Amino acid sequence: MNKKIKGSLAVVTAAAVAFGLSSVPAASAAVKTYTIGYQGPLSGGEASTGIDEQNAVKYAIKLFEAKNKNIKIKLVSIDDQGDPAVAGTVAPGVASNKSVLGVVGPAYSGATIASLPYYKSVNMALISPSATRVSLTDPTSPDFGGPIFHRVVGKDDLQGPALAKYATAGVKDAKVFVFDDQSAYAVPLRGYVEGGLKKVAGATLVGGDSVPNTTTDFSPTIAKIKTSGATVVIYTGYYSQAAVFIKQLRDSGSKAVFAGGDGVFNQEFPKLAGAAAEGSKVTGVGGLAGISAKLEADFKKQMGVSSGVYSVESFDAANILLAGIKAGKTTRSSMLAYVKAYNGKSISGNTIKFNANGDISYGLFAGFTTKNGVLVNTGIVK
Amino acid sequence: MFAVLIDQFWSLTIAGVALGFIYVLISLGYTMVYGVLRMINFANSEIFMWGTFGTVITSRDIFNYTQTSEPATGGKLALVLVSSLLMSMLVAGLTAIFVELVAYRRLRMKGTNRLATLISAIGISIALQEVMRLLTDSRPVGSPRILEKIILTEVWGANIRLDTVITIIAAALIFFVLERFIKLSRMGKAIRAVSMNEDAAKLMGVNLNRVITTTFLVGGLATGAAGFFYITVFEYTKFNIGFTMGMAAFTAAVLGGIGNIRGAFYGGLSLGLLEVYASAVLGTQWKAVTVFIVLVLVLLFKPNGLFGEAVQTTRA
Repeated sequence: MNKKIKGSLAVVTAAAVAFGLSSVPAASAAVKTYTIGYQGPLSGGEASTGIDEQNAVKYAIKLFEAKNKNIKIKLVSIDDQGDPAVAGTVAPGVASNKSVLGVVGPAYSGATIASLPYYKSVNMALISPSATRVSLTDPTSPDFGGPIFHRVVGKDDLQGPALAKYATAGVKDAKVFVFDDQSAYAVPLRGYVEGGLKKVAGATLVGGDSVPNTTTDFSPTIAKIKTSGATVVIYTGYYSQAAVFIKQLRDSGSKAVFAGGDGVFNQEFPKLAGAAAEGSKVTGVGGLAGISAKLEADFKKQMGVSSGVYSVESFDAANILLAGIKAGKTTRSSMLAYVKAYNGKSISGNTIKFNANGDISYGLFAGFTTKNGVLVNTGIVK
Repeated sequence: MFAVLIDQFWSLTIAGVALGFIYVLISLGYTMVYGVLRMINFANSEIFMWGTFGTVITSRDIFNYTQTSEPATGGKLALVLVSSLLMSMLVAGLTAIFVELVAYRRLRMKGTNRLATLISAIGISIALQEVMRLLTDSRPVGSPRILEKIILTEVWGANIRLDTVITIIAAALIFFVLERFIKLSRMGKAIRAVSMNEDAAKLMGVNLNRVITTTFLVGGLATGAAGFFYITVFEYTKFNIGFTMGMAAFTAAVLGGIGNIRGAFYGGLSLGLLEVYASAVLGTQWKAVTVFIVLVLVLLFKPNGLFGEAVQTTRA
């Protein structure tokens, strides 16, 4: 469907919800219905991320409803297409819909920043499964999301070192070349990767570049890589450019290890790059399958599809809001207070407790390697 | 700073020339239409983008190649490459004619203001892009590898790859054929006549509509060929690649002297080389800045671009 049509539909939905069309039909007197939202890209080029996340939220709701027969949960889908411009148009409608107690999301950092003013004005608790930009929880930054923003995902300052470690693993005296796609996501991440490299024994940074994300001809960058004698190349950017780049790098005859961050973490990457992607290393989030096969099997049975990206994080985030509802926090303010004071377990076994800025204390970044055209999980990077 | 340039000079030069030739062919789409109508064909970038899909459809859907298939060899290779090239040229040529019919002809017949045509061209270019976005679900499309990128030989430390060689030779050939067509054929003469003086050409019995349609077609064919070479080298396309490439080719056309076919040639090549050298020396983030500084400098001293305006400069 057209991004714009979808976008306007989302606005309409949000507006409809806002004007009370969502008034809760009580099935029986004992059953109460509460509403939470999920915000992320549900249409457009990034839709697969949002759909994966929302499925995990729906799964959490299913499990919750099965355990709590007297509570029904209504999920409002908020489609921001991962785009700050769209987020700014859908967030006001959600903010004015009083029935929404809290939101899982927004999925993307840029969309989060655009939505924050609307949610801040109504004390809406936000728990993002995937917005990793550091400034969101930095009180000195204008992007600071406090007091309403929380996230159950590790920040880029945790991902950077994990990526540096994973990329150079098994390479003796790694000579590393790092380049970014000039996006607001990639430039800071590159900085954290370079910082992380300093702590990797034997690794040296031999060069870098900054390439607009519309580039298709990477020959100047490849020339630099060759001159620098790099044995490891790390790209902070997104999968479609990474696929174009890796083909050109391999065609140039270079055998350097290629690695990328969670922007490259997409099964489309090996599909687009074909054989050139073999052996590429990517950091990303492990998914339910990384926790236990039994959990994944149950997810597949209940939802009809496999769990996707950020499913652990989305599941955790939804569970916090659901626990709040169970604890009787049925106003936005009480829900926000509940989230801030939350102390519980993630399905991954870690303890979820937000610090004053909305961050958790751990980051789970799994390493993936391309084998036979598929990104294969090789476990959490430690 | 210059270490990369010195170390990789020939690799960069070859890459720059190959990229330059793709620019040359797209610039033709701009320069031809400008030469005849004195109007910028803003839809040319999207004509290029549609052209790239011609190649992808031929190799992926007609010859059933996938990302994992072995590259073609021998006669099959030539067959797939030639049909992809023709398909891209056909798709782009038809799109160009369509653009002319919808965005230009009617408005021109009504004698509307030039700005109206400009807006209708921008309109149709947005429409072309959105249609492709819907068809591809906003996703990037990878093209199967048809031509194995064999390294033919090494010259001064630079790898000479088959795909680059084919791109350079074939693109130069296509350019040469089109240039001869404009210079020597009857239709080519008519195109130049209209470009020189529309009214006089009409009085001499030149069918204006046919000339203009042919101009769009020739521009479209060149742009479509560029789409084919782009896919052969980069094996990737997306609904929004037209903008960047179109902007670069338009810059090349202005650099060389828009309306002038030779200008498109030299403009395209200089731009391709300039881009890779600037990226290598200053860092890729300075590519666009350098290109536009050079463009401004050239226009300061030669307002009509390196090669002046059209072959015919007189026009009221």
